[in-house]
Amino acid sequence: MRRFLVWSALALAACSARAQAAHPENPLGRGPDVVAAGHAIFNRTCTACHGMDGGEGERAPALVGDRRFFRLSENAIFDTIKNGIPGTAMPALGLPDDDIWRIVVFIRAMRASASDADVSGNIQEGAEVFSGKGGCLKCHMLQGHGGTIGPDLSNIGAQVTLQHLREALTQPRPIPAGYQPVKVVTQSGETVEGIAKNEDGFSLQVLDFHGKLHLYDKNELRQVTHGTASLMPHNYDKVLAPAEYQDLVAMLAHQVTVKLHTKAEGEGEAGR
Amino acid sequence: MKIAVLVFWLSLASLLPAQVTGRQLEQAPGADWLHYNGSYDSRRYSALDQIKLSNAGSLVNQWVYHIPGAGNLESVPIVVGGVMYVTEPNAIYALDGRSGRLIWSYHHLLAKVKDREGPDRGAAVFGDKVYYTTTDDYLIALNASNGEELWQSKIAETSEGYSSPAAPLVVRGKVIVGVSPGDRGLNGYLDAYDANTGKRLWRFDPIPKAGEPGAESWAGDSWKYAGGDTWLTGSYDPELNLLYWGIGNPSPDFNGDVRAGDNLYTECVVALDLDTGKLKWYFQFTPHDTMDWDAVEIPVLVDAPFEGKMRKLMVTADRNGFYYVLDRETGKFLHGSRFARQLNWATGLTPEGRPIRVPGIEPSLTGTKVCPSSIGATNWMSPTYSPQTGLFYFVALEGCGLATKNTETFRPGGYQYRAGGDVLLKDSTWKVYVRALELTSGKQVWEQGRVGSMGLGGGLLSTAGGVIFSGELDGEFVALDAKTGRPVWHFNTGQPINAQPITYSVHGTQFVAIAAGSDVFGFTLFQPERINLP
Repeated sequence: MRRFLVWSALALAACSARAQAAHPENPLGRGPDVVAAGHAIFNRTCTACHGMDGGEGERAPALVGDRRFFRLSENAIFDTIKNGIPGTAMPALGLPDDDIWRIVVFIRAMRASASDADVSGNIQEGAEVFSGKGGCLKCHMLQGHGGTIGPDLSNIGAQVTLQHLREALTQPRPIPAGYQPVKVVTQSGETVEGIAKNEDGFSLQVLDFHGKLHLYDKNELRQVTHGTASLMPHNYDKVLAPAEYQDLVAMLAHQVTVKLHTKAEGEGEAGR
Repeated sequence: MKIAVLVFWLSLASLLPAQVTGRQLEQAPGADWLHYNGSYDSRRYSALDQIKLSNAGSLVNQWVYHIPGAGNLESVPIVVGGVMYVTEPNAIYALDGRSGRLIWSYHHLLAKVKDREGPDRGAAVFGDKVYYTTTDDYLIALNASNGEELWQSKIAETSEGYSSPAAPLVVRGKVIVGVSPGDRGLNGYLDAYDANTGKRLWRFDPIPKAGEPGAESWAGDSWKYAGGDTWLTGSYDPELNLLYWGIGNPSPDFNGDVRAGDNLYTECVVALDLDTGKLKWYFQFTPHDTMDWDAVEIPVLVDAPFEGKMRKLMVTADRNGFYYVLDRETGKFLHGSRFARQLNWATGLTPEGRPIRVPGIEPSLTGTKVCPSSIGATNWMSPTYSPQTGLFYFVALEGCGLATKNTETFRPGGYQYRAGGDVLLKDSTWKVYVRALELTSGKQVWEQGRVGSMGLGGGLLSTAGGVIFSGELDGEFVALDAKTGRPVWHFNTGQPINAQPITYSVHGTQFVAIAAGSDVFGFTLFQPERINLP
């Protein structure tokens, strides 16, 4: 077993050395002209699968919004476009390297997270709005404290764009998976309200507003009613003073939990 | 002890696959499941009735066969004399249909790693052979007893961008295989190979060349990069000796400006003479399609009274949102009706079955909402017809797309040639259903939502037990009451289901099987186990 581990470690080291030796570098910079050129090539070449502006297409994931599929470094994105992803529908595109770099720069610009933006505001004040007047802490967690009825926001600055962050606070948005409001009445007459963490034709997993999980076989339920609107209020630009709103946005944009990637560069990226 | 050994050898001998005759291949599904869709008429209706409405609730999982790294299997198992043949891309496994234990496996080695793109939907059997196609476009014949390779025939040029995901169909000594994809501007075809030698006997080209009938439906030389895939398995009528095959979309998919005209024979079902591959008739569902609505959906063959007269019918639910009833002798349109609630591109069908289009509801430079989306109101999930209920069952998707077009041009070498795409509008109206339609009127009798599934998932199977089996993308394998759609049993496979269910019988026990994720599952009614080892 130990010998196996040693060999694995050596093999890993060899892989990483090879991966580092073959690092291509972006020769074009990241200026707005490069982004625009990349945008044009992207919408000509990639939209059939990934959708317009990387939204979501018929056969491939969105390139924005879903972190699971993020290849974060420029090199990793370049490699994916140039060589494809074996075993998936992602082909090697066979474009000139310069055009690939333009697409890379566009994808990176499209994904620029709120934490990359220069947001003015008082982060300390924003944290107070979050736990106080805004009432956000009732539903959302920050660094291990807060409610569970909404998504954890400890890394929100790295997860969404600044525009997305502002829209989430001020406009109605689609309900994210796992957060649909639901009200059930059990066969014994008990009513439970909360969010549907998962559901199929036969079972339902509800997290109630007190943070308690209820695992139902649908045979045990008399009634299931789904809420059609997100529980997230979207009037923070109105109920908060302009400065308070700006402080809240600034605080959220700064929420980044860095998890260092401990694997060798390139490892796992080719597979998914 | 000696008797036990003898019994052991006898039982092993009974596992060895028998010769599959042409006559057997023409039978309706019983103990064996011999074709992708069970029988030449593609009804996916089995006469087995041990599992029925009254006892389906006691179905239990008997075995699981795991294929490491298989991803999402799309394979439909074939069962002959208790031996199951199941494929993944570039591999085939022969299993004991009772225990799920491996008998042999065959792995096709690719010359180029790049050529491993694409799914594989299953095998076919005839005589002492098993047939399947590979991602680098070989039709391979193996000895059914031991998996030894007998011959392979190249069916397409992989480097050009072709693949061959569909299960072959063996008819009267011919192996019929199709190709994919036209989303690269490649023209499809349908081939017949000699089942014994692998020699190609004929090829049908769904895209007519300049000067041939139908060529006038393509502007300029747009017929050269025109699509017209044959990526799903078709049907066959032994009396008429006609093959029925669905043809895929025209290229480029989303921008029709460069290919003015009806674009024959894309988006058609074609009836071909089995002996020659010559076109007998065609019917086009979506002339000049710009939404990638491949008309490859399974043509289901049923003999039934229509307007007081017994007719040979072909019915199909098309990706474009309409249900069609055709006369399969002549191709005459008999009936068509809309089954998709969200359908904005046409107001109805003419008496000839041609859609009456709504101007402007097509991909545009800035994006136009088109319903159904490019995924279609249904897709390649197999439908089923039950003579017991007289209903046609299929998987429907309600949903729209924001469709755009662009000026992408054709490039040789297997590059996509779609010139657009659509953003799927997955709002609260986006839903998947199993629907039951009255056969000749297309009137909906019931529907059952696939709660939790955002995609179409797997297809359907009906049985003489009055049950519909249905595999959901969310992993649930479900039995429904064929009359009402009410669920009577379910099993969470824990993996996405993207394949079609089958049923077969070994030594008097009925099995239901389906591939889910990277596993194949076998189910039977619960029987208390009595272990009495030799």
